[in-house]
Amino acid sequence: MELLPQYLANGLVTGSFYALSALGLTLILGLMRVVNFAHGELYMLGGVMGWWATTRLGLDFFTGLLLVAVVMAAFGWLVDRLLIERIRDQGEEPGILLTIGLSIFLANTALLVVGTAPLKVEAPLSAGPVFFGDIVLTKLRLFAMGVCAVLIFAAWLLIHKTRLGRAMRATFQDPMAAQLAGVRTANVYAATFAMGTVIASMAGMLLGSIYSAQVSIGGLVSMKAFVVVILGGMGSFAGAICGGLLLGVVEALWGGYVATGSVDIIGFALVILTLVFRPYGLFSKRAERA
Amino acid sequence: MKFEKHCLWALMALGAMLPFVVQDQYVLHIAIMVLFYAILATSLNLVVGYVGEFSLGHTAFLGTGAYAAALLSTQYGWPIWATIPTAGVLAAIMGFIVGGITLRLQGPFFVIVTLSFAEVLRLVADNWIALTNGPMGIAGIPQPELLKEASNLAAKQFYYAIVWALLALALYLSFRFVHSNAGRAAVAVRENRYVAQSIGIRPLSYSMLALVLGAMLSGMAGGFYAHYISFVGPEVFRFAFMISMIIMVLIGGKGTLVGPLIGALLVTFLEEYLREAKELRLSIFGLAVIAIVLFLPRGLMGFITQRREARSSAATSLQSTPAADGRPA
Repeated sequence: MELLPQYLANGLVTGSFYALSALGLTLILGLMRVVNFAHGELYMLGGVMGWWATTRLGLDFFTGLLLVAVVMAAFGWLVDRLLIERIRDQGEEPGILLTIGLSIFLANTALLVVGTAPLKVEAPLSAGPVFFGDIVLTKLRLFAMGVCAVLIFAAWLLIHKTRLGRAMRATFQDPMAAQLAGVRTANVYAATFAMGTVIASMAGMLLGSIYSAQVSIGGLVSMKAFVVVILGGMGSFAGAICGGLLLGVVEALWGGYVATGSVDIIGFALVILTLVFRPYGLFSKRAERA
Repeated sequence: MKFEKHCLWALMALGAMLPFVVQDQYVLHIAIMVLFYAILATSLNLVVGYVGEFSLGHTAFLGTGAYAAALLSTQYGWPIWATIPTAGVLAAIMGFIVGGITLRLQGPFFVIVTLSFAEVLRLVADNWIALTNGPMGIAGIPQPELLKEASNLAAKQFYYAIVWALLALALYLSFRFVHSNAGRAAVAVRENRYVAQSIGIRPLSYSMLALVLGAMLSGMAGGFYAHYISFVGPEVFRFAFMISMIIMVLIGGKGTLVGPLIGALLVTFLEEYLREAKELRLSIFGLAVIAIVLFLPRGLMGFITQRREARSSAATSLQSTPAADGRPA
């Protein structure tokens, strides 16, 4: 039992990372209703580009992060305008297939370019330990949690306090009415997808500095992100954060007390149980849409 | 319907003649894989095409069947004649369980929960070492007695005959299902759930029927796979398998019986041909998938039926006599 606080702390740290890596998917899956199987690959691209920017270009971490954000925003915008736009409002199947195709393409092309080896993103500060009583964490992880919080808050502000955010909320409530009111919905969709892409890639770079950036990580990240988004309820930021923290803590406890080998089952078991008892997610207020 | 039936007969007859014409082991192997994938695509199509729910968990049934056949034949020495049907039955039971939980959900929720089931089974297969031998898988699944003395080519022909028979069974059952009242009810649910409910169709029972049938067929395919490859590992639950199946169904055209066959043929050949491109292979494959979604949204069969309908309606309007309706163009 004396390890319990440490497990909880580890779980919360991992959980906040899960929340961050799922945040982009909350926008794309939760609001745009695109079941984005390329989410993990967007995350991976962020990590790989972060590695390239910090080690090859010699930029410092934050300039690199900015560069990644700008490039990935343009990429996300283009993907939406060139690909996703053509299959909008056709149900989820074309979207699933399209993003599966995109993820196969991105993962294997990245594999050709940078290879399979784990890539280390230069971290902005050293990995020294920090002690809180009995609990040990590293500075880097605390820093990453801080950045998570800032990113999540910034995304929330963007959606709730800006003109673009208002247009987004209007569009996802009723595209037709939004269009009638003069919202350029095509741009709003593209902006949302770009925003999801940026958040995913920033998460990839940030976590790439703690673990490492790997080309083959995409599938795993997509799965965890789906779990978090479903747990939290579609399209809700607070839900994604709670879902991420819940998943992190439960996984840490399961790994600590039961078995480490089967930790990955937890997420899927949670999803199945959640959908059996609360079919629209733990924190969702959404009613069935006809 | 008639066109579809003729196409199926012609394709299966061609398939039946193949081993007499071709004596090459490599070509036979490819042909076996095409027929194997055709069974899987047909069974997935029952759910995706006729119920209209996008299941990403079909590997759960394939894997259940494969592991069942592997365990029954290695541990208990069951012959292939017994293991394949048992694999089908076990997979059908699994389909019943999974369907009972997942079919109440729709849209993205259904997609992800079915995917979760396949992943859970994969992790169980990976971790329950006492039963499944973990990541090492079950190797050395015995070949039938019949093949003890036979040459490699004869063995291939034997397996070809089995997989052909399984595909024939799968197509027969699918055809009977699709053109029965149950099949029409399932299509009604697909087209408009609320209207279907309002005329007294219970969505759950018909989608369940389709799912259980699909699960049984893919379980039998899994049983066949276990014997043919003579190795089963947790890879059978992998998402990559699922991707192949889905692409086959959608390229060929979901909601048609011929489509998945053509899809299986195309994708298997595409994968073999692209081997020449080595590392670029999967990148090209990804681009091909994107192109198909954008430019061939209803699949090849959808495209062909559209053309036929356009032609026949043009023909009837030319003749401008009501009696010409219904005559094949």
